[in-house]
Amino acid sequence: MRRSARPLLPIAAPTQGARSAVAPASAELELISEEPEGLSARELWLALSEPESDKQRRLCQIAQAFSSQVSLEAPDGVLLEAGRSRQYFGGLKRLLARLQQRCQRAKLKPRWGLAPTPLAALALARAVPGQMVLQRSQLVSAVASLPLASLGWPERTVERLAAIGVREIGAALRLPRAEFTRRYGRSCLTSLDRLLGRQADPRPRLTSALRFRVQRSLDFELRDTALILRELQPMLQTLEQFLRRQQRAIECLQLRLQHRARSLQVTPEYTLLRATLAQASSHAEPFARWFAERLARERLPDTVIGLELRAAVFLPMTAQSDHLWQPGEHGGAMGRESPALIERLRARLGHEAVYGLCLVDEHRPECAYRVAEPRLATTSAGTSAAYAAISEATPMRLPRRPLWLLHEPHPLPWCWRQLQWLSGPERIETGWWDGRDVMRDYYHALDPQGAEVWVFRERRPPHAWYLHGVFG
Amino acid sequence: MSSVRPQQTTGDTSLESLLQHPALWRGRQAATRPTLSSGSAVLDAQLPSGGWPAGGLTEILTRRTGLGELRLLLPLLRRVGQHIPARWVVWVAPPFEPYAPALQAYGMPLAGQLVIRTTETAWALEQALESGACAVALCWGLHARAAQRAQMLRRLQWAAQRSGFPVFLFRDWEALREPSTAELRLTFEPLRLGGQVQLIKSRGGSRNPCQFLWSEFERVSEPNSRVGATPL
Repeated sequence: MRRSARPLLPIAAPTQGARSAVAPASAELELISEEPEGLSARELWLALSEPESDKQRRLCQIAQAFSSQVSLEAPDGVLLEAGRSRQYFGGLKRLLARLQQRCQRAKLKPRWGLAPTPLAALALARAVPGQMVLQRSQLVSAVASLPLASLGWPERTVERLAAIGVREIGAALRLPRAEFTRRYGRSCLTSLDRLLGRQADPRPRLTSALRFRVQRSLDFELRDTALILRELQPMLQTLEQFLRRQQRAIECLQLRLQHRARSLQVTPEYTLLRATLAQASSHAEPFARWFAERLARERLPDTVIGLELRAAVFLPMTAQSDHLWQPGEHGGAMGRESPALIERLRARLGHEAVYGLCLVDEHRPECAYRVAEPRLATTSAGTSAAYAAISEATPMRLPRRPLWLLHEPHPLPWCWRQLQWLSGPERIETGWWDGRDVMRDYYHALDPQGAEVWVFRERRPPHAWYLHGVFG
Repeated sequence: MSSVRPQQTTGDTSLESLLQHPALWRGRQAATRPTLSSGSAVLDAQLPSGGWPAGGLTEILTRRTGLGELRLLLPLLRRVGQHIPARWVVWVAPPFEPYAPALQAYGMPLAGQLVIRTTETAWALEQALESGACAVALCWGLHARAAQRAQMLRRLQWAAQRSGFPVFLFRDWEALREPSTAELRLTFEPLRLGGQVQLIKSRGGSRNPCQFLWSEFERVSEPNSRVGATPL
């Protein structure tokens, strides 16, 4: 019989020196007295053990404020990578202190452990809370004495191992690899390798489905818009904090004003205001301005007894800094002024009332342009070069087009004999494929008052004359 | 009797510096004010200080919309539209759709055109003026009762002066009978292949009617037209 002689890990009895790297601390997350020395591990995982799912969820929210790498380990563990955040918070001591502060405020008392691998940290948190292992070389001696149950293996495996006298992690590590795998499964071996950092332990990042919703019901009734705005202010601040925490920006925010129900049978009435910005923002201020502008004009049907803010679509936050120069000064670009103007106009006049223009590659005059989201050219290459490219490279140069186009072709108000012809005809015959086909002959003419107009004659009977544009 | 007499020695210099102030003018010898060229030498010579006022309201009165009054401004619009950093060219309540292919053919970049459809023209115009994000503003009509119009015009003129960019208000012929605080008022009438401008109110500038041809304007003449009319 071939004996697999290689044990999982040759393990020596823990020496005095090895013990000293394991810093004892309180079982509850607590202030550590001084910044630990001898930190060598690049990665450092903090495990928080909290069996209650409700508390666990709140713990996740707190953890996300301290690290971008937060993951869950069933059934009780919240893992966060603290090694990279350490620098930002000014040391491990401060990080832990702030984490503890936040937990206390949320009335949470998770058990915790700190180690270079996530599994080791979790095992420490479950078995001997409050322990820190700061160096990878100390890892084996630190976890050797922990019970196997702290690894979260299936109960049956733990029982079978206990039957052969293996109750601690250290004892399991002494078993030969091949036989261990055959009897207890591949996953347990992987788990041990990951525990000691001999195998990579990639963890999915916890991403919560983003939703923002704050409600405020008032125990008084409001009619004055200024007072409604004042009640809205703290909610908008909550929104801003939320956006900063999630590193997100939003374009659209919905405000629902709940009105007093007229009677018990009637369902309460709502007024829905949807603020849409021209540029996504992670600040609450443009929304506050939008609502102020809108509420000043909105006629509310009744007094307001409740407010609710909702946001659903989140975009990545783009950090913005103000320019040193004022816009237009020394070539300073437009910063927030141009989107702010559009937002202000739209808040009062409606979204569709403010627009920009863009070209469409079409022969039908009414289809050759389109209403577009207003935008500014950002570079000189964007304007003059693009124009040059279009005007020079276009192989077909079209006859002159009028500056003004009528929304709809208008039956000619004069007899065509009164017109003085300048040029034409230009035949436009296209669009048969989408049911709005045109068959027209366009003429450039002077009308009786001396204005240059663009008129056409239908090629289909009854060959009517229409005014379609004014050269202006 | 105790009266404070102005000192003779410094009186002249302070008077000189006072006369340089852009808010003061003396009849025809107006202090030079910041202007933007209209793109036509004939028209520039006619306009006070040699161009469209850069910080002020200009009223253009026509008998009808679309007689060529927009073409009068095209060189200016094209120049400010191509300026970088880009700013908005604001169209408040235009009578028809500004036709994008034609604007493109005249060399105006389409990015930066901002069309505002509203009946509250004065409010929208004032917002645009105060935002500091515009290069030029065009507005059609005032949409207000006669009693409010004078006050509205005064506010707009003041806002235009502060903003420092040209603002054009297109109004109909009836507005001739009304007083106005606009910095410049003129009428426009079309001629064959050209037009005629007559200043009604200006600080300086000539009162003689000024006639010009479109071909004299920089690149506003026919951008790419087929010459020679085809008779029907």
